[in-house]
Amino acid sequence: MGGAFGDIMARARAGDEAAFACIFRDVQPALLRYLRVIAPEAEDVAGETWLQVVAGLAGFRGDEPAFRAWLFTIARHRAVDAGRSRNRRPTVPLELSEAMELPASADAADLALEAVSARAVVGLIKLLPREQAEIIMLRVVADLDFGDVARIVGKTPGAVRVAAHRGLRRLAELAERAGVTQ
Amino acid sequence: MSGADAMRGEMPGFFPGRPGGERGEPLLDMIFDRRPLPPGAPPEMHDLARMLAVMAGPAEPGELAGEATALAAFARLAPPVGISPAASRPARRRPSGRPGRARLPMAAALLTAAAGLGSIAAAYVGVLPGPIQKVAHVTVGAPLPPHGSAHRPAAIASPHPRVTLAPGISATRPAHSAARARVHGGTASHWPRHRMSVQGPGPVAASCIPWPSPTQSAAKPSPTPSAAKPSLTPSAAKPTPTPSPSVTKAPVGTSQSPAGEDCPYIPAAGAAQAAVNG
Repeated sequence: MGGAFGDIMARARAGDEAAFACIFRDVQPALLRYLRVIAPEAEDVAGETWLQVVAGLAGFRGDEPAFRAWLFTIARHRAVDAGRSRNRRPTVPLELSEAMELPASADAADLALEAVSARAVVGLIKLLPREQAEIIMLRVVADLDFGDVARIVGKTPGAVRVAAHRGLRRLAELAERAGVTQ
Repeated sequence: MSGADAMRGEMPGFFPGRPGGERGEPLLDMIFDRRPLPPGAPPEMHDLARMLAVMAGPAEPGELAGEATALAAFARLAPPVGISPAASRPARRRPSGRPGRARLPMAAALLTAAAGLGSIAAAYVGVLPGPIQKVAHVTVGAPLPPHGSAHRPAAIASPHPRVTLAPGISATRPAHSAARARVHGGTASHWPRHRMSVQGPGPVAASCIPWPSPTQSAAKPSPTPSAAKPSLTPSAAKPTPTPSPSVTKAPVGTSQSPAGEDCPYIPAAGAAQAAVNG
């Protein structure tokens, strides 16, 4: 949203539904992709996140990076809560659905990189260690700097940076192995 | 494990001085910062940058499916348009109309204080029942109760209510007696005559509770057969100079109080008048 964020946020805080819709459309894809990496029930957690955002929108003060950091912090907390609830009710995971998201077939190498969907890339990132995958998503998808990412995941900015670099290298290897890249 | 213990392929960015060591660090930072990579960068770095750009791209089909739900929540929870958040915040935090538990003791204390003050005021005015007025006189210095009212219970306990009934009946209801007298076309002073003319068992006697005056019971014993049993309760009624033209020798006229002007049982009084007329 850039420079228009302040005005849009002010209108949303005043109850303007169209302004809130602008914010939602701008953030929701990144939120959903991030949650798909860290939580199986991404859509549900995203809905709970927006509920909490709406409830606290009147009290929010800050710029766009601060809003994103606030929203993804909420999302992470809700994902942790969902994970705890899921652990209390253990279920059998469906690995097949995750595998179907990967372009791992022999013909995948023929696909142009531009044709790779964000969902397929998210499927690749999910193969990374959990910490690296989350840091990459927060840094790249949520567009947070290393300081905000470090605050969200509870690590130092240096450790976050190292983990992000390792994750990217491993992601490049996974993509080459899967045939996504050449 | 030191750096020398690791294979180069496992930790490629941690071997400065070796081929491949730290080579990709600036490139990775450029990818993270979304800066364009130099032309000489490895192709895998370019592919990685494109892949991450796709991941940070615009919404794909289905990713905005939750918009309706979010907007509904926003419409439900957000303040109405035109009202500043600062103005709406206290309204949403306003407690419900149910009074808090902390207010109940205060309300009870206020009620108790109001009741106590009201009782004291009533005691000073003198409208409390006799025994209570006496207690108020002793405790808070309220005036003594009227003389007759103090003996009212004894009068009720009189075994012969019909004998000495007439003079003091309406001591407490002069207004009623006057009104009923007007209804029956006469003055209030006519009522004792009619009533006293029907000495006998009946509803009139049952309904008329005697309140004889002190003058009646003490100074002038009733010549009626019931006079042998003088009332134990002197009436508090004030003596009136109006003599009663009673056909009996009952001391009706001796009582000057409005007690003799009232009978609360009006139909019975009418029947008594009919009996007199007949």
